[in-house]
Amino acid sequence: MSIVPMGPYHPALEEPYKIDAICEGELVTGCNIQVGFNFRGIEWLAERKNYTQDLALFERVCGICSNVHTLTFSRAIENLAGLEVPERAQYIRVVVAEAERLHSHLLWAGVACELIGFQTLFMTCFALREKVMDVLEAISGNRVNYAMNRPGGVNRDILDPASVLEAVKAIADVTRTRLIPVMTTDATVRARCAGVGVLTREQAIAWGAVGPMARASGLPQDIRIAEPYEAYDRLSFDVPVLPDGDVFARVVVRALEILESCKIIEQALEQMPAGPFRGPDFPVIPAGEATARIEGPRGEVFYYVVSDGSDVPLRVRVRTPTFANMPTVQTMVKNQNLADVPLIQASIDPCYSCTDR
Amino acid sequence: MIVDGIPAALGWHGSWEQHRGGLWLEVPDLDVRSMATFMRENEVRLITMTVRPEPSGGYRFMYHWDSDGSLMTVVTIVTGGKIASIADILPAADWVEREIRDYYAVEFEGREGMKSLMLLEGDEPGLFSRTAGLGHDIDPADAARMQEGETTKEVDR
Repeated sequence: MSIVPMGPYHPALEEPYKIDAICEGELVTGCNIQVGFNFRGIEWLAERKNYTQDLALFERVCGICSNVHTLTFSRAIENLAGLEVPERAQYIRVVVAEAERLHSHLLWAGVACELIGFQTLFMTCFALREKVMDVLEAISGNRVNYAMNRPGGVNRDILDPASVLEAVKAIADVTRTRLIPVMTTDATVRARCAGVGVLTREQAIAWGAVGPMARASGLPQDIRIAEPYEAYDRLSFDVPVLPDGDVFARVVVRALEILESCKIIEQALEQMPAGPFRGPDFPVIPAGEATARIEGPRGEVFYYVVSDGSDVPLRVRVRTPTFANMPTVQTMVKNQNLADVPLIQASIDPCYSCTDR
Repeated sequence: MIVDGIPAALGWHGSWEQHRGGLWLEVPDLDVRSMATFMRENEVRLITMTVRPEPSGGYRFMYHWDSDGSLMTVVTIVTGGKIASIADILPAADWVEREIRDYYAVEFEGREGMKSLMLLEGDEPGLFSRTAGLGHDIDPADAARMQEGETTKEVDR
């Protein structure tokens, strides 16, 4: 038996964390995962800042999915305070959330292509991602940390829906004609990913897997459908689910979700009514506790907030999708080749900053 | 799984209360291992666990579950700083229990030698409890290594 350490700093890992792969020759028999290298004590800090400051704090839980955190935190406060979100703001939230999903999935697809050794597709994915970044910048003024959400509404309107629509149609077109055909039929992608790193349906439930990870293991789990929020109950879209549970299924699920997000944005922009979007400047947060969850790009994001009626929360709990998905690597790498470990860990679309908070 | 039937199936008194983002039920003498076994057998997913200190001492433990899209929170009060682990029944609880120990120094019975998750190896568990009185200008990384009583700044609410 030998132990092969990877990380905490390693070319295959975008952020610091550590896997010790336990091997018999080239065969992996298990692994230990060490996280906490990005621990910033965000839950600790949240108990010491007021709600407005906490919004900025939670935007920084994740560098890619910053929006989902302010959205879930805002929704928890709205549940606590009984705030109604204006209809236009609900649609704006959907557009930004789905653009963020596009950004996240395209970024992941690019990184996965690079790991597979498919450089041209990597460039295609990153060129598409750039279009999404331009859209988010045009809406919010920022490429990351969009500062769109506030309890009871959003901070900015979408002033030029036509340009967003045009960009999204272009992304959908390239995804449909180039990305999905290559990702689903190319022999290199299939050879590298099919049958690798399997997570069965039963394992996915027991380990608490969420998002595309769960859906690639045959679980039709999506908070946008199960517990619709914002304007999702007025929009038509499919939730791709595959039964295989391998890396290939995760690739395909995410690729198909890119198209679904484009579909959602197009509908949301077409249906978005005129009207107010901001919500109250200083909402009163009563004493009590509330939960909220939304479907982020990597899966379910969960927040718990408890208030004593002051402007500083007593406790905020943040459960990010990677916190739920990352431990599954321990079961997925068993009886796999050592060379596949980087690909298996990458297939969960991990975010260690989110995990560590 | 029919959510409404869970309290009766586990012998809990009362029924779910729908408010503020989901279903809630407080169970004073919660057998967490029976609950975990039942949930696993019925394909109910553990979302996470939340802990917060009670003003009167002890901890408010909240187990958040998902059954076919329904969010359920089972609440119990833990005194004495110990509760049974469910990580051997549900691997989803493994990292959550380790993190709770890091923050509140709660011990999980049946998990001797449990490693920290967020704190550095050798750091004393109970970061949140130990630093509860510290203000916002302290870096939590420093607070983790700070001995009790070194800083006296109170939280300004």
